[in-house]
Amino acid sequence: MASSSQTATQPINVKLLLIGNSSVGKSSLLLRFSDEQWVPEDEASATIGVDFRVHKMDVDGKKVKLSIWDTAGQERFRTITSSYYRGAHGVILVYDVANRESFDALPRWYGELETYVNPKVVKMVVGNKVDKEYSRQVTYSEGQHFATRMGSLFFEASAKTAVGVADAFKEVVRRIVAEPELVGGEKPKTGRPAPAAKATGGAAAKNQTRTDMPGTINLDDGEENVEGGGCAC
Amino acid sequence: MPTDLPYAADAEVSLSYDELQVLRTQYEREVEQSHVTIQTKFNFAWGLVKSPFRDHQVEGVRLLQEIYRAEPTRRRECLYYLALGHYKMGNYEEAKKFNSLLMEKEPTNLQAQSLQTLIEKKVTHEGYIGMAIVGGVAALGALVAASIIRRATRK
Repeated sequence: MASSSQTATQPINVKLLLIGNSSVGKSSLLLRFSDEQWVPEDEASATIGVDFRVHKMDVDGKKVKLSIWDTAGQERFRTITSSYYRGAHGVILVYDVANRESFDALPRWYGELETYVNPKVVKMVVGNKVDKEYSRQVTYSEGQHFATRMGSLFFEASAKTAVGVADAFKEVVRRIVAEPELVGGEKPKTGRPAPAAKATGGAAAKNQTRTDMPGTINLDDGEENVEGGGCAC
Repeated sequence: MPTDLPYAADAEVSLSYDELQVLRTQYEREVEQSHVTIQTKFNFAWGLVKSPFRDHQVEGVRLLQEIYRAEPTRRRECLYYLALGHYKMGNYEEAKKFNSLLMEKEPTNLQAQSLQTLIEKKVTHEGYIGMAIVGGVAALGALVAASIIRRATRK
């Protein structure tokens, strides 16, 4: 990103996505990060479609306006949530360290990313709920290895105790801001880039697949063939 | 550093024409085959409710109401999007009604709380506009009355 004097005054807009299976604690991580709050598991309700927060922060002396899109993990919202992937600069893939299945599902989430986001986006894997140490099903090193293999950052955290949460968000934003191609010239608006989906030029090919997106879903059949993904540990 | 609340992501962002078209095509294809899955119907309804066009919103709300009646497992999200649809159409009483039903079931639902605040903000805002209009009319009336009285007394 051009280190012009502009950056000192105008905040850099960063779009961040939270994805991962249902009940891994995506919303809880966000709530902990943005409001320093915590809602007990039995009182928390599953996100409907998407939720959204804006958070302003300073990273390495730069002002950042962070838009965080917290997506529903439930299968039934897959079409809806995938329409929010476009234009993301960073993605946090969340799993629950006490739930093996949520970790094994990560390759499938990476598959979604391949379809909808720029390959350059900064990716981070976060193993949440480390407060449940006694019922842990995924070790730190397993998580770490997987993330490395996927070219992603890795953090363990607990939205409940706040361990690692702020560090994870800060780190992902730091990496995004340090990536000139991501937040550089295009002045990313957080919304969609107008209904110019049929536009020509470089972005057209990519847009094409992206606008097809809701059609590809037919969520009922679409998901069966993902089984094989697994974790090649 | 606090967040800018409240916010309802689905209220602000619309789908592109092409995106909505994909959802519509899928829905219409299933209608033709006379087997519409709840998922397809819900996706289309969601796309419609998000649209900036009123006739889309109306259609979306209608579909959501059908899903609400037909599919108990989808009720919470139907309530949310019904509230959202009515909110966007400016039917704040209806919006509040559906959102309250959701909040009754899920008092800690942050999305519903956020939407509630948005609705109330609009209601107060429109209330102010209403008052301003009423106030303006009253002021004008007073002026007219005053001038009539003045003219009358001059004679």
